[in-house]
Amino acid sequence: MITLADFMIVSAVLFCTGMFIIVSKKNSIQILIGVELMLNAAILNLVAFGKYDRINNSGQMFALFAIVLAAATTAVALAIILNVYKQYKTIDPDKIKQLKD
Amino acid sequence: MSKALPYQDIQTIYFAIAAVVLPFAAFVINFLFLGKSKLSGWVSTLAILVSSVLAAIIFTRVWNVQQIHVKQIWFRIGDSYLYTGILLNNLSVLMLGLVSVIALPVHIYSTAYMKDDAGYSRYFQYLSFFCFSMLALVVMDNLILLYAFWELVGFSSYLLIGFWFDRANAVQANKKAFIINRIGDIGLLTAIIILFNQYQTFDIERLFKEGGLIASSTIKNGLWISADIQTPVIWQYIACIGIFLGVAAKSAQFPLHTWLPDAMEGPTSVSALIHAATMVAAGVFLLGRVYPLFNPAELTTLAVIGCFTAFMAATIALTQNDLKRILAYSTISQLGYMVMAMGIGAYATSLFHLVTHAFFKCLLFLSAGIVIHQIKHIKEDNNLDIDPQDIANMGGLRKKLPLTFIATLIGGLALIGLPLTSGYLSKEGILITTYEWAQGKGDMMLLVPLFAFFTSCLTAFYVARMLLKVFFGDLNLQFLNPEIKIHIGDGGWRYKAPLVFLALCSLFPFFSFNPFLHEETWLLYGFSAYNSKSVFDIMHIAIPVLVNGASLLIIYYAYMIYMKRSTIVLPQSGLLYRLSFNEWYIDRFYNRVVVKFVLVLSDMAFWFDRKVIDGFVNLLEKIGVFTAGIASWFDRYIVDGILHLSAVIVQAIGGFARRFQNGKVQYYLFSMLLAVIVVFILKILIWN
Repeated sequence: MITLADFMIVSAVLFCTGMFIIVSKKNSIQILIGVELMLNAAILNLVAFGKYDRINNSGQMFALFAIVLAAATTAVALAIILNVYKQYKTIDPDKIKQLKD
Repeated sequence: MSKALPYQDIQTIYFAIAAVVLPFAAFVINFLFLGKSKLSGWVSTLAILVSSVLAAIIFTRVWNVQQIHVKQIWFRIGDSYLYTGILLNNLSVLMLGLVSVIALPVHIYSTAYMKDDAGYSRYFQYLSFFCFSMLALVVMDNLILLYAFWELVGFSSYLLIGFWFDRANAVQANKKAFIINRIGDIGLLTAIIILFNQYQTFDIERLFKEGGLIASSTIKNGLWISADIQTPVIWQYIACIGIFLGVAAKSAQFPLHTWLPDAMEGPTSVSALIHAATMVAAGVFLLGRVYPLFNPAELTTLAVIGCFTAFMAATIALTQNDLKRILAYSTISQLGYMVMAMGIGAYATSLFHLVTHAFFKCLLFLSAGIVIHQIKHIKEDNNLDIDPQDIANMGGLRKKLPLTFIATLIGGLALIGLPLTSGYLSKEGILITTYEWAQGKGDMMLLVPLFAFFTSCLTAFYVARMLLKVFFGDLNLQFLNPEIKIHIGDGGWRYKAPLVFLALCSLFPFFSFNPFLHEETWLLYGFSAYNSKSVFDIMHIAIPVLVNGASLLIIYYAYMIYMKRSTIVLPQSGLLYRLSFNEWYIDRFYNRVVVKFVLVLSDMAFWFDRKVIDGFVNLLEKIGVFTAGIASWFDRYIVDGILHLSAVIVQAIGGFARRFQNGKVQYYLFSMLLAVIVVFILKILIWN
């Protein structure tokens, strides 16, 4: 029997992996992948907690919504990355320092 | 005014004020409106003319009739009221008349004498101011204002003596006159302060009238006792010495006489005024005002000093070659007579001599002015290098300047004191009174009339010498420079009229209808209160006869020396000659001792100032700089240091915080994570 704790552990591992990818990778696409991993960790939690909801399968429904939204955001993010590349000729976040004051 | 005066007296007072103020008004008008105008001379002359007319009116109303004294409160200090007012008594009106009447011909003469001078208008400003000071001096009723105008007389004479201030000699002379007069002023001021302390008033009438405060105070057991105050008698002596210093400085008595000969550097017309009526008369006038203050011993001292001055000045006049210097020393000599007469109690005779002397000395100076003026013309016409005042250059001017010659002759005879002149009347009066005074005093005091008599003989000699050298014989200039052209004359009416007027006033009818007896002079009756009653005896005939006989002999002797060259001339190298020619070495003594002493003292003071006072100041300065250095160091390193330190800390913190803002998105995220983790760790640590 797979318990809630097992789901939580998998989710935490996913989250941490995504976090690590975000702060360490030098490629914006990889960072985007990290973001997706963290998002999926959250969706996994949603589904796992959905079992305790009074309405059946509402967790799964929200997960589907979130997946769709994630796809949309990924599309937006990719568009941003493309524009960043046009502007700076790189997608290494370390080399884009214009946020600095 | 405390009590109502009759209308005529009030009018007299107004006349007196007008007579005094008119010259001042002329001074103001000249000063403000008539900068360079030739009109200024006539403004001044008109003012003094009106003044003299008013003075004559006042004279007839007051002389031997009454005394007018008005005063009102000037200001108050504590409980002391200070009054100011006008005192018209016989002495005041006599001086008022004398000053204005002498000043009038001098003004008229000056309009011609100064007409080519660049400072014409300035001259008349000073002259009017001078007359104003002197006129005010004689009518003031309190010692404070008397002193103020006394100072003004000194100051305006300073201006006039230094009139040609571009000449070094004139500047030296007026400085000398001023400094010596300051010595006298200090004496007078001291005396006034002592008198106020003793009597609590400055009022001349209250102090000096018959039975007044001074007359009723006594000296007993070493104390000077007045109504309410007793002071040691030394103060009375100091007051008298102070007054004497004032008199000696103004009236050129030994030892303060040296300024008067040097005062010849001013224009000759000014010399005439100074010597006749205004400046030197002030001293004798002051003596007349404060006469009751002196006790018999002090009067005797006064007589001795006057006699010595008369004698000394006469001996100096014997050998001088400068025309004006001879006259200056003769003035000192005659002033000595006046002071001596005051000293022996011949109050009236002294003032009488002052009046007669004023006329004939003014006459002599104005004549000398013409002579010098003409010699200067010869000098300028012919480009000669001579001193126009040196009598050695003159001679034979009798024919060229007839009127001047007659005027000088009358003035000279009056100065010698020959009969038919006014000088005879006053001088014989003094000589006779001196003799009578000395009779009761013992043998030593007989020296005083003896020296007075001898001085009279010396006077005869130097006057004769001057007259002969200037007017008789041949013109020495022409003898030395045969080619020079000479066309000179007496000058216009503005030269002639004053001479004629003054010459007439120097003759006897103006003072007495009896040309041989001085006792019948009207002027003497005005001061009978002070006059010692003299018994008419044989001496009243013997002394004049003796003196005049001697004078005539000496004039003849001078004639033999200078005209005929037949008598033995005294050697010009003897001790006596050098003593006389160098003016008794008094000036040189003052220069060597007094002036040098003062200079050494000033040098020491200068040294002290530079080394000690400046040193102290410099030390203070150094200390100040040093303290300021410490303060500056403290400021820079401690105060500024704290500020800089805080700035550095803030900068460091800023720099540290800045590192998080490096623009890298991942770094921001990392920082955020770190913060969250720290919060969590802290939470766990605190909870457990």
